[in-house]
Amino acid sequence: MSLKQRAILMIASGALLLAGLAWAGAQPAHAQDPGNDGCLACHGQPGMQATLPSGEVIYLTVDAGVYNASVHGQAGQACIECHPDVDLQAHPKGDTAWSDLGVRTHRDLSSLLYRDACVECHQDQYADNLDGVHQQAIAAGDEAAAICTDCHGTHNITDPRQPLSKGSQMCERCHSEIYELYKESVHGGALLGEGNGDVPSCTACHSVHDTQGPLGDTADSNFHLSSPELCRKCHSDTALMAKYGLTADVYDTYVADFHGTTVAVFEKQAPGQETNKAVCIDCHGVHDMRKVDDPESAVIKENLLVTCQKCHPGASANFPTSWIGHYRPDAKRAPLVFFVNLFYWILIPAVLGLMIVLVAIDARKRIADRGKKEHQHA
Amino acid sequence: MPSTSRFHRFSISDRIEHWLLFASFTLLAVTGLVQQHVDWGVYGAIIRFFGGIENTRTIHHIAAIVLMFETIYHIGIQGYRFFVLRKSPSILPGKNDAVNLVQFFKHGLGLSKNRAEEGHFTFAEKLEYWAVIWGTLVMGITGFMLWNPILTTRLLSGSIIPAAKAAHGKEALLAVLAILIWHLYTVHIRHLNLSMFHGKMTEAEMEDEHPRALADIKAGRFDPRPDPATIRRRQRIYFPIFAVLAAAMLAGVYFFVAYETTAVATAPAAEEVAIYAPYTATPLPTQAPTPSPVPPTITPTPLPGETPLPPAADTWQNGIGELVQTKCGACHSAAAPMGGLDVTSYQVALKGGSTGPGIVPGEAGTSLFVSRQTSGKHPGMFSAEELQRILGWIEAGAPE
Repeated sequence: MSLKQRAILMIASGALLLAGLAWAGAQPAHAQDPGNDGCLACHGQPGMQATLPSGEVIYLTVDAGVYNASVHGQAGQACIECHPDVDLQAHPKGDTAWSDLGVRTHRDLSSLLYRDACVECHQDQYADNLDGVHQQAIAAGDEAAAICTDCHGTHNITDPRQPLSKGSQMCERCHSEIYELYKESVHGGALLGEGNGDVPSCTACHSVHDTQGPLGDTADSNFHLSSPELCRKCHSDTALMAKYGLTADVYDTYVADFHGTTVAVFEKQAPGQETNKAVCIDCHGVHDMRKVDDPESAVIKENLLVTCQKCHPGASANFPTSWIGHYRPDAKRAPLVFFVNLFYWILIPAVLGLMIVLVAIDARKRIADRGKKEHQHA
Repeated sequence: MPSTSRFHRFSISDRIEHWLLFASFTLLAVTGLVQQHVDWGVYGAIIRFFGGIENTRTIHHIAAIVLMFETIYHIGIQGYRFFVLRKSPSILPGKNDAVNLVQFFKHGLGLSKNRAEEGHFTFAEKLEYWAVIWGTLVMGITGFMLWNPILTTRLLSGSIIPAAKAAHGKEALLAVLAILIWHLYTVHIRHLNLSMFHGKMTEAEMEDEHPRALADIKAGRFDPRPDPATIRRRQRIYFPIFAVLAAAMLAGVYFFVAYETTAVATAPAAEEVAIYAPYTATPLPTQAPTPSPVPPTITPTPLPGETPLPPAADTWQNGIGELVQTKCGACHSAAAPMGGLDVTSYQVALKGGSTGPGIVPGEAGTSLFVSRQTSGKHPGMFSAEELQRILGWIEAGAPE
């Protein structure tokens, strides 16, 4: 056996050995599943904690009662199904192990444990999430951006739709200021206060996993520009609006005016375009939109001038009345417009009618005369 | 043949005016009408053609400025003809036009053999001319209001703006349809009148459309041109006056176009709020190690002369094994020997785990079990009493 052959044999057997070890290393977790009771024997004890290299103290106790009441507990999910990487041979490893895992802070640990744990069972939600603002922020290096467990929790996960307010309260944890505004709005008050499912929750406008926000704008999508379509979904629904005594004309009357015309064309032709024209939320408020007769509404008569002045700094007291207010112009709401329209609906047929009569008489006469002339020539 | 003679109809200046009006009117009509129904497919395509809605509006505004310049020019020219050349203002509607209109009906309906005796401008042309004047006025005034809504609402009620918009749109519709019906028929369909291209009409055309004017020309009845000295004298008065007037009108156009900045160029943020405002994490509920309440021990007072019996010696079978399995078995069992340690039987327990034997009989000091437990960092911990008991058992040689 030559030196070369021996070297190849050694490398090959070394590789075989490594592969074997890797295979063995991949197996033992399931083979030696201690069962949830096994984990809880330690992790069910109160006061279990550890100190991370950052100095943060983490709490390692899992409340068996809470877990068993969670969706996963109810389904009989085993601890190691979400924690498959626990090396039972070397568990617990002690405080020195954190740096080996690359974990310094609590956030590092959460990311390590949970960023990719849920995809095993929840592929669709995970895939949607890749398109969302949170994942984009993570990809851009923002460690604080939400991962699955930041919204859903860990061992205490319950149905995010039960009660209806729960989903929005998930967002509250990181978006507390926005939530405070939303809570006071006509929508938030109905959802959080009355459990009304007709009003939009956070996710109704921002999507669930492929979360979109005004900072996620691309060349093909501009949240500000497309937002009227969100409002339209409910506010053009005649049956739904009738239930609350609201008009379903708001979108159509908006598009019929300067702001809406521009926005509608931009939305269609240049969806990534920035516009200085107001969309629904610019006048009505973003998260704190109120009933139009609420004294704090941005569009109630007393507040409207200030609202207009945001974009029209020179506007004076009469300016706001140039907006008819989402009404179709009738004799009562906008008499001047109504009578101008009426004037033209009389003038236009009258003038055009006269012209058509004159043209018809002249044409008939000329055709008749030409026929006569040709007849004479013949 | 008389039909070969050509009669002067429009001067170069007239023709330039016509084409300026044609260009600005067409552009205004197209770029304006499409704004009324942006959701119509063809209109959307036209908006796209002009480079989007904002560009379409800019082009509409530029065409409006061209029309305003043309209007000033028209006023200047007509003023010159009236005040300097003293031509009769034949475009003004008169009694004749009513007579001609009646005659037009009579002839057209076959009630009279005689055609209307039209002069230099037919009643049809006057109708169109004054319609353009009316339309330009309406569009100019309402257009000013839409272009300068802030200034307008400082002086007038706000409701004038949507009314102006309604009038601007409807008047546009009227103007476009009137041109399509009236102008197209009278100038292009009934016979193709090309006098706006070359400025001339044939005798036959004159005979057909302007018989009285033709008769006047043939009879030499037309406004005589004043002598050059008179013209120069009148010019010296007219030019300065019109210069001032034109300057005022141009200033008006500038005011119209540039006075008002209606809206800010960049919309302010719709909401000022911190997007990321996490609640401060509640400190995790670390439980202070509460010492288990020590039951009061009642030490029986030994009776005089009585020697207390020594406690029964601990063995693995007698107590120690059960204690260790209860406390350690969950993690260190045959099924899940964490760290390689299994305490399900005496033999395997003594063998220890991957880091070595946990129990060295007779040597509590070197037993890993002891060092782990005394370090206080092992997840499962024995109480101090239990630990003492196990230490005693190891020191006693860890009997089975």
